[in-house]
Amino acid sequence: MPAGRFTISLDGREAVLEMKRLAVIDQPKWPAYDARVRPAIMSFRIVWKATGEKILIDDKQKHFRFEGYRAMAQAEATAEVPSLNFSWKSDPINTSNAAFAIIGNEVNGKYYDV
Amino acid sequence: MSFSEERESRVQYTINRRQFLHTGVCLATAGASALLLPGASSAQKDAPVPDGIPSNGSTDPYPIPWLDRNRSHNQSPGPGMEPSNIYHFKGHVARCNNFTGMGTDNKGNRIAFGAPSTDFSLVRGEYFAARAPQLGTFCHI
Repeated sequence: MPAGRFTISLDGREAVLEMKRLAVIDQPKWPAYDARVRPAIMSFRIVWKATGEKILIDDKQKHFRFEGYRAMAQAEATAEVPSLNFSWKSDPINTSNAAFAIIGNEVNGKYYDV
Repeated sequence: MSFSEERESRVQYTINRRQFLHTGVCLATAGASALLLPGASSAQKDAPVPDGIPSNGSTDPYPIPWLDRNRSHNQSPGPGMEPSNIYHFKGHVARCNNFTGMGTDNKGNRIAFGAPSTDFSLVRGEYFAARAPQLGTFCHI
């Protein structure tokens, strides 16, 4: 991620990810082998905000530990497929919702035992 | 395994790890702005062997091993599941999925967005690759 496209608050409880006019592909029939690909452009903004619900996962077998919070996440986006003369814009960000979201810190692999 | 086979295997391995950034099994995976930590020289990071393969392996992040079985370096987040997409990692992770929302197309049609598999991630921190600590920020969209 280029610098400036994301922010994480100092206390780690909020994060914003934003990209504008990102070149992507439109491939509705993926993963079909012959799924047609069309160039597309996407902009999006995602906001995570921690709730008061703490989460601690410590999995010794898989060697990872996560410590953070359940979060509320919302997103807004626009998409264009120029070859189809199609564009779409989401409603304002406060009208969307993610059923599951988390934010926090993780260590895994070689850092797990440090 | 002969030297040539081993070499070929190594080349394939390197390409597969790079696929994490450059192809994406899902819609897309963004790139990185990996920076070396102080103390790791640029020669350590970039020194290529004659055929262009980094002598210490790629500086791309190492995938979570048990997510790599099907060449999918991502799993949708959920209770008890590992949030990070990167192994040998320590840092900040934000994940979310199962979005619901609405939007409008250029013909005025109301079209919903989001599905259980609509997941996003933001992963920022230190990871270990090419025998050195690296810093980077990655996202999955």
